[in-house]
Parts: sequence; C-alpha cells; structure tokens
Amino acid sequence: MLNKRLLKEIDYIFFLTMFFIMTVGFINLWSASTAAGYPFEWKQLQWYVVGCCFMVGAMSFDYRKLSKYSVHLYIFTIILLILVMFMGKSVSGSQRWISLGFFNLQPSEPAKLLMAIIISSYFAREEKEKFGLKDLIRPTLLVAVPFLLIFKQPDLGTALLILVIYGSLVLFARLKMGSFLIILGSCLCAFPLVWKLMKPYQRKRVEIFLNPDADPFGAGWHVIQSKIAVGSGLIFGKGFMKGTQAQLNFLPEVHTDFAFSIWSEEWGFIGAIILIAVYFLFLLRCLDIAQNARDRFGSFLAFGITAMIFWQMLINICMVLGLLPVVGIPLPLVSYGGSSVITTLIGAGLLMNVRVRRSLFQS
Amino acid sequence: MKNEPEIKAPDAKLFLKKFDAGDSSGKQQICTYCSMFLLACFLFLCARLWYLQIYRGEEFKKLSEKNSIKYIRLQPFRGNILDRSGRLIAGVKPSFNIGVVLKEVKDVEGLIAKLTSLLDESPTDIRMRLVESKNQPSYLPVIVKRNASWDEVARVEARLFRLPGVVVEVAPARQYPYGTVAPHLLGYLGEVSLEQLKSGNFPHAVPGDLVGKSGIELKFEKELAGRSGFKMIEVDAKGRMVKVLKVKKPLPGKDIHLTLNLDLQLAAEDALSGKSGAVVVLDPRNGQILAMASSPKFDPRIFARGLTRFEWKRLNDPIRTPLVNKAIQGQYAPGSTFKIVMAAAGLNEHVITPYTTFFCNGSMKLGRRRFRCWKRGGHGETALYKALVQSCDVYFYNVGLKLGVDKISKYAYGFGFGKKTGIELPVEKPGFVPTRSWKRRRFREPWQKGETLNYSIGQGFLLVTPLQLARMMAAVGNGGKLFKPEYILDESPVIESRVPVKPAILARIRKILVGVTEDRHGTARTCFIKGIHIAGKTGTAQVIKQKKRRESEKMGWRYKDHALFVALAPAANPQIAVAVIIEHGGHGGSAAAPVAKEIIERWLKLRSPKPASILHRKL
Repeated sequence: MLNKRLLKEIDYIFFLTMFFIMTVGFINLWSASTAAGYPFEWKQLQWYVVGCCFMVGAMSFDYRKLSKYSVHLYIFTIILLILVMFMGKSVSGSQRWISLGFFNLQPSEPAKLLMAIIISSYFAREEKEKFGLKDLIRPTLLVAVPFLLIFKQPDLGTALLILVIYGSLVLFARLKMGSFLIILGSCLCAFPLVWKLMKPYQRKRVEIFLNPDADPFGAGWHVIQSKIAVGSGLIFGKGFMKGTQAQLNFLPEVHTDFAFSIWSEEWGFIGAIILIAVYFLFLLRCLDIAQNARDRFGSFLAFGITAMIFWQMLINICMVLGLLPVVGIPLPLVSYGGSSVITTLIGAGLLMNVRVRRSLFQS
Repeated sequence: MKNEPEIKAPDAKLFLKKFDAGDSSGKQQICTYCSMFLLACFLFLCARLWYLQIYRGEEFKKLSEKNSIKYIRLQPFRGNILDRSGRLIAGVKPSFNIGVVLKEVKDVEGLIAKLTSLLDESPTDIRMRLVESKNQPSYLPVIVKRNASWDEVARVEARLFRLPGVVVEVAPARQYPYGTVAPHLLGYLGEVSLEQLKSGNFPHAVPGDLVGKSGIELKFEKELAGRSGFKMIEVDAKGRMVKVLKVKKPLPGKDIHLTLNLDLQLAAEDALSGKSGAVVVLDPRNGQILAMASSPKFDPRIFARGLTRFEWKRLNDPIRTPLVNKAIQGQYAPGSTFKIVMAAAGLNEHVITPYTTFFCNGSMKLGRRRFRCWKRGGHGETALYKALVQSCDVYFYNVGLKLGVDKISKYAYGFGFGKKTGIELPVEKPGFVPTRSWKRRRFREPWQKGETLNYSIGQGFLLVTPLQLARMMAAVGNGGKLFKPEYILDESPVIESRVPVKPAILARIRKILVGVTEDRHGTARTCFIKGIHIAGKTGTAQVIKQKKRRESEKMGWRYKDHALFVALAPAANPQIAVAVIIEHGGHGGSAAAPVAKEIIERWLKLRSPKPASILHRKL
C-alpha cells in the first residue's frame, strides 16, 4: 500500500507537467468541440477523472507483482484483441471498438501498455549482459501475435507502435553489435513485404505523405490542411476559439488525431513550443525513473512506458506537422479518447509506482 | 533498519533482482543516450514548428485566410415511384430552400426582420425554426423556408450579399404528376427528427434532410434516398465563390415500381371522394395490389414544409382520421360479407347442402331473445342461393348454430382473418377473430349461443380490415389461395396459406354470388354491369348496438352503419377482387356497391380491346 514513506518519494515535477498537459488537452478540446459540434471536452474531463482514479490504483500495489502475472496479462491482451475481431464495432472500415454500453473500449490502446509490461517482464527475467539474435526469437513471437491481430483490424499505426515499443526495449536490454546490424538490415528488406500487406488506403497515405500535392483535395487533404493550420498560427496564434482552419471545418478529426494542429493554430509558435517543452520535461522525468529504478523489472517497465508515451507523442506531432504519413496515433492526454487517456494515466501510475518503491531497495 | 523494507515487500524474495555494477552502468549509459535523443527530437520539432509557423507562416496564413474552401452538399434525387405500367406517381423536381447559417450571422433579429420582408413567412415562424435547430452543428444551414417560390428566391438572391449567412439551396422535392395519389400507401416525407438521426436508421441523413416518415417512403427509405454528393469550391474571404475545385455527383435513389394500376387507383379515389372509407383492389391470381385507397386523403407535401396548427388539427380529426390508412388499419365488423365464409364453412363441413332450406319468418327465437332478419316480413322458405343473394340472416343463424363458434372461428382464420396479411407496411392491423377461450379470458363468461348468431352474420366481436376482405374475396376467386398482398411489381407471388375449403365449393359460391348483382332480388343490383358477370356480396356493419334496429338513415351520420361490398370480376375467371367500405354509409348495396361498380367499369374499359380490333380478329 501507499504509506507516507512512499508518498515522500513522489515526483512533483512529473505530476505538474502531466497535469499541465491535461489542462492543455481540456482547453484545446473546448475549442475543437465547438468545431466538431459535440461537447467532447466534458467527456474528456470525465475520462481524466476516471483515469486519475486508475492511476492512483496503479500506484498503490507493488509493481513487482505485475511481473508474476505477466502470462495472465498476455492472455488477457490476446483475448481482448480477438474479441474485438468478433464483437467489434465497425467504424469506417476498421473494427477497433468493443461496445461496453457506457464506453466504447478500443482494445488496441490498453494493448500498447500491456505489451510494454509483458515485454519488460520478459527481459527482466532473462538476465543477460547482451542479447543475441537467438535470444530474441521468443519475445519476437510473443509480440508478433498481438501485432498481427491489431494489424488485421486494420490499425497499422498502433501495430507499428507496438513494434517500436518492443524495439526500444530490445535496445534498452542491449543487443550484440552483430545482431543489431542484422536486424536493421532485415527490417529494411521487410519493407516491401509490409507495403504489399498494407491496405490500399494505407498505401495511399504513404504515397500522399511523400507527395501531398498529387491529390490535394482527396487523400492529401489532411496533410495540407493541417500544415496550413499550424503554419497560419504564426508566433502568437489566432487566439482561443479563433482558429479558422479548425472552426470552419477545414481540419478533420480536430478532437482526436489533429488536436495538436488546432492548438498550434490558436496558440501559435509560442504555445506549441511550450506544450512540446513541457511534454519533453515530462518524458525526461519518466526516463529518470527508468534510470534510477533499483531492479531490472522496474527499470524495464519504466522504460517501456516512457517509450510508449514518447513514440506516440513524436509520431502524432510529426504527422500533424507533415513529417510522417497520417496514422491513427493519438497525442497522449491531449487527443480525445477514453481508452487512450485511461491507458496513459495507468502507465503514469505505474511509472510513479516504480519511482516511489525504489526506496524499498535502499541499502 | 536498512534491510527492513526488503522484508516488508511481499514478493521481495522472488523478484528482487538488483542490478549488478556492470549492468547498472550500462543502463545509466543508455538512459543518457536516450535523454540526448529526446533533446534532439525536441529541437527537431521546434525547428519544424519554426519552419512552418515563422519561416513559412505568412504564406500559410494567407492560404488559410484567402483560399478557404467550402463544401456544398449536393442533394440526391429521390427515387421515383411508378405504377405498374411505368406511369410516374411520385417524382421529384428541384425546389429552393432558403437557409441560414447561424454561425455567420451577427445580428439574428435584424436578419429575421429582413427575411420577413422578403419571404412570405411570419417572423415568429422563422424564429421558431432557428430556435428548434439549436442542437444541430452551427455550420449547417437551418432551413427557414422550404420550397420557396420563384419570387422569393429572386428577391433573396438579389440581396444575398447584404444577407450574410443566408443561403439558397437547391433541394429536390416530391412532385405528384397525377395529384396526391394513394398518399396512405406512398407515405409522406418530413424533416428527419433528432431521434431518427440518433437511431442510426438514416445513416446518410443530416439535420434538415427530408426522409420517409410513413408508408412506402419509410419502408423503402434506403432504396429511395440515394447518396448525397458535394461540390468543393474555393471561396474568398467574403464567401464568394472563386472556382469549383471538385464535384462528387450525388447518387440518385432507386425507382420503385408498384403493382398499383393508376387508373384503378384514381377511380377508387374519385369514387371515395367526399366519403370516409377505403377501397382495396387485388389481383386474385397473384395477390398484387391494384389499388389501395383510403379516404379522406391528405396532401403529403405539407409535411415537408412543416404543418400549421390548423392543418395538424384537421389531420388528427378523431372521427374521419385522414392520416390512418383505413385499408390496412381500419378494423370493421364484416357484416353480411362474412356470410360467404359461413356458406363455405357450412358446405365444407356438410352441415348444409345447397338445397337445404330453412324457413325465415323475419326473426328467430333463441331462448327468450328474438334475433331479427333484416327483412321484417321474412324470406320464407330459403335455400343457399336465396340466402346469399337476398342476404337472409335467419338462414345463417341456423347455419351458425349447426356449426358452432369453434368451427366458425376456424374458417374465419382459414380465410385470413384475425392475423396480419403480411403486407410489407409498418402499421398493419390484424383484425380480430373471437373464440370461446378468448371470451372466457376476457370477460370471465362462457360463450353464449346468441353471440354465435351475431357472429354468423358478421356482427359482434369479429373485426376485419378491408385488405383482409379483399383477400378473402380473392381466395374465393382463385380456388382458395391466400396470397401475401404485394405492392412491389418485381416480387414473385407468395402463397401464405390455403383456405380449408374445397375449390369446388368456392366455385359454387362464386356462381351463386353472381345473383347478388344480377338477380331481381339481389342486394347489389346497383353493381350490375352489362356484359360481365360480377360476383359480389353486400354487408352492413352496425356501428352502435341497439335493442331494436331502427332505420339508420334517420340518425346522425356518426351513428349510421358502415356499408361494405366485396366483388369479383369476371365471376367465371376472376381477375380483380374488390373490397369497399364506406364508413357510416348506410346499406352496402346502396353506398358501397356503386363504388365497386365504378372501379370495375374502369377496369373493363382498360381491359377490353378496341371494338375495331375485335372486328379485325373476326375477319
């Protein structure tokens, strides 16, 4: 349980930055909601509150227990992902949601976190100085199953994100130089294969990313409009609720994937830089937790969660700024979405869990 | 003291894998790299933001200001509804809607005042519409005037630049080339309600769209609606179009071909005009609906533009019920038309033969009660022919007593009463067939013999719809097949069930029924047409129970009996089955039969080849 001695270890900068990001998310949604014509901000606030409860819950037990239950968690993840294949709600061609009545769960969101925990737990048990190719066969298979299930939904973005989290953890576990080069080489070779497996619309997005002006009013629309939105913000922005791009509905999905776009439009360069800076401060604190964890599992877990948040943020912002093709990755804590918010907050809770319990090891 | 925490931690023994020195330093190194990587990413994103917002910012700003892009929704043409020979019953024509995009309006009251002077619309109406639309996204126009006249459009168009936020939309509206034909069957269009939008049954509708609200328009909404397209236009800062960028054409809805015969439908509606009632014309050979009329009718177009209070009150008249499709929702006692079922049941159960006679002296005594025949003086010695042709009640009292309530109900069900006919319309009523067990459940009383007598002449608890009556008649005409009533032309006929009566008996009854229109004493001589044999049966359904049947003509309209008539033509090989009910019309023979006659005459005209061609064939 959380006792006073543990609470003393709480990182206030971590929480301050996190709440700052959430506040930005709320304010931003306020504006986006008027454009979307639906009060997303209040629902989001609801998710924030629910998520914070989960976060406290995620802090209150000893994280090392998670390692013990990693097999259960893995099976749970797989079941969730299979369930969505059969019971899932189909929205514009992809089956990503399970309807729970009061809440549409998007299982690929918790899957990100669960996979981070599972992989961390795996590497924590395998005590090796450096990992070779052979050592990676088993964890790779472990990751392949959920990857394929999410890929099938189809949700290419999230599937790749899980791979990226896995890759980050592999690097954190340290690879032999030779193995590293081989993997890098095979990844490059695998690219054409992935290309073939992709759905036509996914391919189109990549093509459009490479050349957005080829089809400016079709598939290139998102990228161009988002860039115009961000760019037209200038230094100080157009002001709260005054972003013409978003408010006049030139921007699609302003409340989810393109949340950062409306923020940059309305708050300008300064607002955007402040948000990104706070985000990186937050991530540095997360990294600090991984660095200072006293056991292998804690360290891997913290690193995995940090990687999860970091990559989502980076991919989302790059996408909004026209640096990556459009994939459905939210900006954690800013984009609207119950599953994403709650998952991220549970992750934050686990991070703090690792941090406060490092005192248990002091000797 | 320092080791204490390790012991406290519950799973400490299992999971406490501390880093050894080398491992730990490796981890430190990686984390340092990662921090540096984070910093690099941060700088990279800052650089990109700087590039977009400062280096190219002005350029993007101009793009966002000047080259705004607007979508204009292009409404699809709704599918046409055609009769069996392809004549257009309900089509579409472009109409103009005048809308207001609230988001672009600064001075709402001022705008309302301006619009009032330009449109034939009161300021309160306009205000109401704007208020009612509070829940829809503010960038969508709120339609304040639907189906605006040319004058109005011209007046508004000319001042459009002084009316920010006002838009003139082209929207297809229903038009009815032959007037409002079969409004009950076709249904009407109305603005989609919020509940309907939420229900998900109208996935492509947006607020302000017209969708089917009843009848075929509702049933075939998906097919008829089509899909909207859009026009993407570049507009300048004032919202004026600079150029068209992209057009996605709307997908028009599918046409629906009905089995209705427009001529018969019009004949039926003409014959019913001014009366309250219903007509159903079926093709006995396949169950297709040739005409389905209900009166009074309504103008389906008024629902699209919104009803005035007066119109609403009139449509909801509780006595004449113009909105109710009486052909499938009106439930009436069948009266003497039920004697057809009784005769078939009696013959099939061998309780009578065509030659069995009963003596009618004007009434029948059962216990202490006296059950009258409609003819005071009585019919005398009566066999089946006379009983049906002159509609003798006493004869059928006797048949009823011999059959008993259970058998009668069995045959009533057998002829398709008491359950829905299965017509693909949302609001059909099943009618009602009483049974012994129902009586016990409902009234906690056993079935009385007197009730059997009433039952035998189609009075009392038994209720049928005009469609059911027409179908019964069709079954008499086609040897006992009960078809599912069909109004879509391409559907193949479905036999729902068969009447449990031998075809020979039905043929016999059909033959006898010709006497109803042709015999000197027939009750429906008003439906006699030279050159064709028509099998018919009149019916008169009591509206209120009276101790003594008084002459209903003397009473107020609301207390008059319902007049019924069913017919088959030609009797030898029936091609149309007609059921007519005139509410409070009085006698079937005087009120309902002439309506059927008009329809059959119209049908004859359509059918008979031109005299010249007959001559030609003979030659």
